[in-house]
Amino acid sequence: MKDSLTLLSRIPAHPDSRCWFLAWNPTGTLLASCGGDRSIRIWGKEGDAWVCKSVLGEGHQRTIRKVAWSPCGNYLASASFDATTCIWKKNHEDFECVATLEGHENEVKSVAWAPSGSLLATCSRDKSVWVWEVDEEDEYECMSVLNSHTQDVKHVVWHPNQELLASASYDDTVKLYREEEDDWVCFSTLEGHESTVWSLAFDQSGERLASCSDDKTVRIWHQFNPGSEQGGAGSGTDPTWKCVCTLSGFHTRTVYDVAWCHLTGALATACGDDAIRVFEEEPLSDPQQPTFSLAAHMARAHSQDVNCVAWNPKEPGLLASCSDDGEMAFWKYQRPEAC
Amino acid sequence: MAAVEGEPDAFDAIVMAETRFHGEGYQDGYAEGVHAGVMEGRQYGVQQGASIGSEVGTYLGFAVMWQQLLRKTSGEKYSKKIKVLEQLIEMIQNFPLEDPVYDKLQDDLEKIRGRFKQVCSLLHIPSDLRLGSERISFSF
Repeated sequence: MKDSLTLLSRIPAHPDSRCWFLAWNPTGTLLASCGGDRSIRIWGKEGDAWVCKSVLGEGHQRTIRKVAWSPCGNYLASASFDATTCIWKKNHEDFECVATLEGHENEVKSVAWAPSGSLLATCSRDKSVWVWEVDEEDEYECMSVLNSHTQDVKHVVWHPNQELLASASYDDTVKLYREEEDDWVCFSTLEGHESTVWSLAFDQSGERLASCSDDKTVRIWHQFNPGSEQGGAGSGTDPTWKCVCTLSGFHTRTVYDVAWCHLTGALATACGDDAIRVFEEEPLSDPQQPTFSLAAHMARAHSQDVNCVAWNPKEPGLLASCSDDGEMAFWKYQRPEAC
Repeated sequence: MAAVEGEPDAFDAIVMAETRFHGEGYQDGYAEGVHAGVMEGRQYGVQQGASIGSEVGTYLGFAVMWQQLLRKTSGEKYSKKIKVLEQLIEMIQNFPLEDPVYDKLQDDLEKIRGRFKQVCSLLHIPSDLRLGSERISFSF
């Protein structure tokens, strides 16, 4: 099991600062990192080494908490504690800030593009989730302000192929939203975590959602369509989401991030105990009640809290991680034989 | 000494006095408490009600003003803004200001606040501007 996760390289991405988040572009050739030094760095591979291609420094006044690539790969959105979200347009190797989205009252915690590329979601400590519509002229218009959470909203993520949005909050819940007559509505609240939900990840099919929490667990939620046996007599036409698996006893501190590889199905976690773990679904487990086993455990992957894990979208098994120690690391994951 | 049948024991009144006075005192205190609670609740309700009324009224005035200002303008650029303004006005008009026990009061108020923020964003107006003499904020 020890050899299933091997270190490829380690880079001081945001020295003397925290490295908060990483995002691969859709083709997997570029990696964006952001941090407490208020900068975004774009990394590309040259030979065997990852080198910094550009630094996006002048955009935000405070910590940049998250970054997200548009599905076309030509835009990068950055969410900052300065209450704004910047949209950067890629021109060859350079990036230019083409829009600044204002509206949140305070720290913007996360940003995500819908699969169509025409919608953007942001969330903030002001407890709200905003949905923005993008037109051809790079104009961003607010479509909806959702005040469903009762606390700080930590993360937003879109379903991989539907216009369905999920958000995670300090109020210990996950909320799901869909469009309804030009507006957005919360149609489901996933309750179960006993503390802050930090991050979310859909699997490749979008039928499952993984959530990770301050309660040291990861929960797997499964979508049941109305009318199906498990969907039961649920209300109307909305699918119901139920927790089908809880991964507990593996993590010793807060789980800050979870990433579901869309190529292999492996689930990676970033934890406050400085470790990275990879889970695999047991091959013969019941899809309605799956069991996951720990396939890799890299203790002391970083010298401080691991903030983010990100699978490369094109190269199976290539995992990037970053930490409060300001470093970023690349790992090669190989599924263990027994699994 | 055996108690006389049918007649209340004279000593009972003395022996039970403490329990009886305790009970009466409790009743008096309870009634007093209910009265004080109702007064306090009423005061708090008036305060919160006024606050919600003032907030919602401000939004309505703001929305109607912008609706009037944008009425003369035309073009697709403004149709979206006008539509969202109309939605905000409709939400406020449907908001039961006179019904303090409306169970979705808080939910609807949050939706109105969200719509107001959306309007501000579409009109490029900072939504944290001070409306009226004091800042609108709630502790709950």
